[in-house]
Amino acid sequence: MHKTNVTVTGAALTPFNRRRDGTGFRDWAASAFDTALDMSGLERSDIDALYVASESDFFHLQLNPASVLATELGLVGVAATRCEGGGASGQLAVHAAIRSVQSGAARHAVVIGVDPSASALSGDAIRSLYGFSFDAWTDGMTGLTSTALYALSYQAFAAEHRTTEADLAAVTIQNRMNACSNPGAHLRRQDTADDISASPMISSPYRRLHCSPLSDGAAALILSQARYVPANRASAPRIAGAGAATDHMHLGARADPGTFSAKTKAMQRACTEAEISPSDIQMAELYDAYAGAQLQGITALGLSDAVSRDLRDGKFAGDGPCPINLSGGLMGQGAPVGATGVAQTATCALVLEGRYHAALQPQKPPVWALADTHGGVCTTSAVTILTQGKQAA
Amino acid sequence: MISHHLALDYTLAPGWMTPFVEGVKTGVATGRKCTDCAKVSFPPVRICPCGSTKGTWVALSGQAEITWRADGADGSFALARFEGANTLSSVKLIDVDPDTTNGRLAASEGDLPMLLLTEEPNA
Repeated sequence: MHKTNVTVTGAALTPFNRRRDGTGFRDWAASAFDTALDMSGLERSDIDALYVASESDFFHLQLNPASVLATELGLVGVAATRCEGGGASGQLAVHAAIRSVQSGAARHAVVIGVDPSASALSGDAIRSLYGFSFDAWTDGMTGLTSTALYALSYQAFAAEHRTTEADLAAVTIQNRMNACSNPGAHLRRQDTADDISASPMISSPYRRLHCSPLSDGAAALILSQARYVPANRASAPRIAGAGAATDHMHLGARADPGTFSAKTKAMQRACTEAEISPSDIQMAELYDAYAGAQLQGITALGLSDAVSRDLRDGKFAGDGPCPINLSGGLMGQGAPVGATGVAQTATCALVLEGRYHAALQPQKPPVWALADTHGGVCTTSAVTILTQGKQAA
Repeated sequence: MISHHLALDYTLAPGWMTPFVEGVKTGVATGRKCTDCAKVSFPPVRICPCGSTKGTWVALSGQAEITWRADGADGSFALARFEGANTLSSVKLIDVDPDTTNGRLAASEGDLPMLLLTEEPNA
């Protein structure tokens, strides 16, 4: 595999929250795109391709949203594609754009992730629809909820890795503490262990505060072939590798329902392309749909061989050697589904450049960053590794 | 703001899974047995993990043992192993006492093929 020639020339996120200001998903997409375009130094006419991540037409009641956003963003004429893979939609769109640029098909490709996961439908309606994210004819029809499937998977993981309620609390507190320093985060709250244990049990062991919220918002990336990068963006971060994989759609058919094996495969593929190993990663935006999923993800990605110990030792804290979810993650920053993977990748790019939120930006920017996204109970996994641009190369 | 109510009536064809779907509706657990390795999947998978595309439908007893269980505001759910199956199944628990580890498949509520596990009458 040859090295990628893909540079992140633009990266932006809108705030993630429940919108009450009358704006809609087209406004959020346009806002994120305008900011990313301004950062890139490019013109609309430079863009050859648009990839839109949006999980479900049910959310915004707009089929074929990529073509609509091509018009809304002033990009009529570009090749426009909608990418969907449940929770992984955003990262799959990033991958599609990477390959488009890497192949030479596009000089510059835009990725937009957007979903109105909070304000368009009731929480109950969204939860019902999420049930069809798994095998609709078995789990969906039965009424399995996302929280229940994740809870069952985590129980199997916890039994093997001996993680505890205290570990779930530590992840929850850490992610939300990071979110407190992220002005665009949905849940900027300082939860305590007592707050968590007093919150309602949704599906044991997950209580409400162990769960990520439903959010509205958008994120945008502009990926560019190295030879077309504007001079003022010559040192912008580079995509080093990308990998994706799937696991059996039935949790109960997996060899171990607690192991996110698709994540391990996706990470191996991305590391092979980037020519690094998981231990080289110095920061990660990781898919924490639930507190335990973060522990399962850390383990599957190879970021730790003793996740409970490393969590206690502060390895993943904001000032640790491998901060995880500086943004607050899904649990703190929020989760507009289609936007999630795009936002994670944008966050990595901004941190690598040293231009993330001041209170969260590591003093010494990392060299290698990981954006990790999945759909289903890690049925679809997609990860992207980013690194410093020319300055550090 | 635009308020809009949308009601959708679906007619879905289960295709090759029809024996499973029809069985579940009436409380009969119908699994798929691989012709080559003899492993039984429930819910069924079309292609066995061994790679074989050949299989036959087999009626299971409907009795299952709960492996993992989650309870809360969302309801009670479990991963359970049906007697004769090599896979676990994700099921909804209907009035299964937390101390009970066994149950049996119940007929679905309405027309949906729901995997419902209920306590054995004499458990």
